[in-house]
Amino acid sequence: MNTVLKCNKMTMKFGGLTAVNEFSVEIPEKEIFGLIGPNGAGKTTVFNMITGNLQPTSGMIYFYDKPIVGLKPYQVVSLGMARTFQNIRLFTNLSVLENVLTGFHHKLKYNLLDTILRLPRFSKNEKIMTEMAMDLLESVNLQDKANHKASELPYGDRRKVEIARALATGPKMLLLDEPAAGMNPQETMSLMYFIEEIRDKFDLTILLIEHDMKFVMSLCKTIAVLDHGVKIAEGKPEEVQKNPDVIRAYLGDINA
Amino acid sequence: MKRNQILTILSIILLFLFLWYANNNLSAYYIRILNNTAIFLMLAASYNLINGVTGQFSLEPNGFTAIGAYTAAILTLTPAQKEAMFIISPMVPWLQNLHMSFFPALIVAGIVTAIVGFLLGFPVFRVRGDYLAIVTLGFGLTIRVVSNNTISITNGPLGLKGIENYTNLWWTWGFAVVTLIIIMRLINSEFGRAMKAVRDDEDAAIAMGINTFKIKMIAFVTSAFFEGVAGGLLAHLITTISPTLFTFFLTFNLLIIIVIGGLGSMTGTAIATILVVWGSEILRFVEQPMHIFNFTIPGIPGMRMVIFSILLIVIMIFAREGIMGQKEFSWDSLFKLFKTKKVANK
Ligand SMILES: Nc1ncnc2c1ncn2[C@@H]1O[C@H](COP(=O)(O)OP(=O)(O)OP(=O)(O)O)[C@@H](O)[C@H]1O
Ligand SMILES: [Mg+2]
Repeated sequence: MNTVLKCNKMTMKFGGLTAVNEFSVEIPEKEIFGLIGPNGAGKTTVFNMITGNLQPTSGMIYFYDKPIVGLKPYQVVSLGMARTFQNIRLFTNLSVLENVLTGFHHKLKYNLLDTILRLPRFSKNEKIMTEMAMDLLESVNLQDKANHKASELPYGDRRKVEIARALATGPKMLLLDEPAAGMNPQETMSLMYFIEEIRDKFDLTILLIEHDMKFVMSLCKTIAVLDHGVKIAEGKPEEVQKNPDVIRAYLGDINA
Repeated sequence: MKRNQILTILSIILLFLFLWYANNNLSAYYIRILNNTAIFLMLAASYNLINGVTGQFSLEPNGFTAIGAYTAAILTLTPAQKEAMFIISPMVPWLQNLHMSFFPALIVAGIVTAIVGFLLGFPVFRVRGDYLAIVTLGFGLTIRVVSNNTISITNGPLGLKGIENYTNLWWTWGFAVVTLIIIMRLINSEFGRAMKAVRDDEDAAIAMGINTFKIKMIAFVTSAFFEGVAGGLLAHLITTISPTLFTFFLTFNLLIIIVIGGLGSMTGTAIATILVVWGSEILRFVEQPMHIFNFTIPGIPGMRMVIFSILLIVIMIFAREGIMGQKEFSWDSLFKLFKTKKVANK
């Protein structure tokens, strides 16, 4: 099977703090891969390095065999990698529709002159983009709220808009940072189905961070566990669950 | 869609009919204020594009207006005029002999200012952080010192005199309308959405594949272009320019306008421009000596600025959104308003 993402001894140091230490992982095509670990373990930092928001102190990252360390985030996006944030980050003053439209930005097919003179290329592409954005909103069941301001939506809907916006970039791989955070059990269940659904519909490989164990265990085929920046385990959910290091990491976290 | 376009064109025709009437019937004083209104509208709309729409706090208008004013003036002054005027030190020959008519001079003024905007923006937007305000503030102060000392280009403290009074209502309002149309079209496009995205959450914008550097540059250079043209219009309205003319007060005035109108709203900017320009004419009396019963209060120059500063503070505390917030006027919303009123009346 094809490897989509390969991290090789990826390390991130913030001054004296080693947030991630020689993290290596390989994620095959179309897999839903889970990254778990106690608070402050370095999970979000791993995401930030993959997406180009942070430059790793050392180590390599390959996306479809192409080294991507050193690329700007918008370049990584145009290669087909999209993400959501742990603390939902929508453009609060834009409408739901406009939020999704920004996802098409990197493959924009009209230029400034088309815009200022309102040439046919402008209107044509605006129309196409709006239709595609509405389709995406329909797939998250938010087509009726397209013209609402993003900040007016309830929490669960905002998550969905953020995912729709990420999908608009046309990703091959999707990174979800705690997508179920703040959701009730029903919402979490439907999110689970939703993630599987979009994986199949858009042929995605998914890497997700999640604290909700049931969620990760039932959704992910493989799980990697991070503790204090070090990968302490990797494998099938049931193996990882029994791993003494993992139990210690979590219990230690609770006692601390 | 069609209906709205027709309505927009009709209102522009109406505006120019009013200007035609004003031109023939109103006194020079009122025509002057109308010209000022249009120039301020251009400046405020440009200023709001970078500050309100893109969210990059900047203090560039006085410096950029100065560049535009000097550029346009140098270009329309005849070689003979320049020779007679530059008495301290003669003008550099290639500028001395450069001469253009009004319209191309304004466009060149815009382009030169846009290039300055590009050169300032380039290093600033390469790094994250709020350096733009400090850099543009410094630029505004520097430009005054520079224009005072580059005597063979700007004629130093003597300034430029005898600039032809080309600017009239047609030029100012023509440019103001074009500026607003272009800026509105920019805002209502993917470029505008990206600008607002940068303002709302820069990290998320980056994560969505937006080249934030490029987007900020587009906004800033566009602002610079129109501020340069506005400077050129101003120079040919007041016919005499000198280094002391383009002070920080100009920028401050514009800041008040865009805050009152609503950061990010061009409709708000238009309303606030009218309020502030005409308001400051009405408030002229506060700077005159006043007689109340037997007391005489001497006129205090700058009193209007104090009033506007207080107004700004009050708005910042009680009405952060300004008049329009980030909303824009649209024909659709107007019709909706009428419809709901009608329903309510029944
Ligand atoms: N930009 C930064 N500068 C300095 N330190 C940082 C930075 N980003 C993260 N850290 C530190 O790195 C460590 C790992 O943080 P990270 O956000 O990756 O953890 P996490 O596993 O995502 O935790 P959580 O479950 O709470 O989201 C923390 O100690 C954090 O304080
Ligand atoms: Mg995190």
